[in-house]
Amino acid sequence: MIAATADRVERNTAAHIARKINRQTEQSLARHSSAGREAIDRRLFELDEEWDVERLIETEAPVMTLIGLALGASVSRKWLGLSVFAASMLLLHNVQGWYPLLPVLRRLGVRTQGEIAAERYALKILRGDFKTTGEHDSNGSAAFASANPHGA
Amino acid sequence: MIPATARRVPEHTPRQVNEQIRRRTEANVLRFSQDPAGLDHRLRELDKEWDIERTLQTNFASIVLLGIGLGTTIHRRWLALPAVAAGFMVQHALQGWCPPMPVFRRFGFRTAAEIAHERQALKALRGDLRGVPGDVRRESQSSGEQAVKR
Repeated sequence: MIAATADRVERNTAAHIARKINRQTEQSLARHSSAGREAIDRRLFELDEEWDVERLIETEAPVMTLIGLALGASVSRKWLGLSVFAASMLLLHNVQGWYPLLPVLRRLGVRTQGEIAAERYALKILRGDFKTTGEHDSNGSAAFASANPHGA
Repeated sequence: MIPATARRVPEHTPRQVNEQIRRRTEANVLRFSQDPAGLDHRLRELDKEWDIERTLQTNFASIVLLGIGLGTTIHRRWLALPAVAAGFMVQHALQGWCPPMPVFRRFGFRTAAEIAHERQALKALRGDLRGVPGDVRRESQSSGEQAVKR
């Protein structure tokens, strides 16, 4: 009933758009992995900065809410319906995953934290961060240190 | 002046709360160091875990609906509640802080990156990275694609 956090946006993205986003991630990986270690370091920094779907929704939804409240208080109470709509859609997004702006954002190539993390970890693997983790590695501390998203 | 998406919440969380979350995440990984039983189950749990953004968005939407409900039935003054909440939600999106954020962090709500940290460490423990060469200079496009599928 309640969607899993990790893939609720991906599940509500048209298949061909999801494929396009994945292709762009793979192209970025190919470009940065062949350009050497510094290019990877730089790209990892960019990935931390990248605005994901949630951050854009968190900016847009309260702005719509505020517009509805302002017009509802000054022009006509009916405008409060805009705020109610914005809040209801945000609830829908958090329970089920879909959101009215999602098709637009995804077409523009805006990614989820999960998709950004996939590129981050692919780069970290390519950089050799996980060298210590071989077959049936039982060194939990090493694995934990290697997986640090902001670790060098 | 706009902080990075992946770091804006930890940057606005008290240090000891970040540390508490980090220690708990590490303990979750170390639990499977010797015995991998239950590791797959844990990975499925991580996919379901509500991160801090999902929690804050749900909290915000509920406050808006409640405030408008009270504002239209009891007194217009109640409309200030959703207005203030919306202001703070924008602040959180841009800057990374809003009043309920430290409270939820104390309850242990993690960022997507903190959850991904545990997930990736567990995958490494499980041996998902077996056979993935780590040397950048020898990397080709195909191993990059291999890596992204992990």
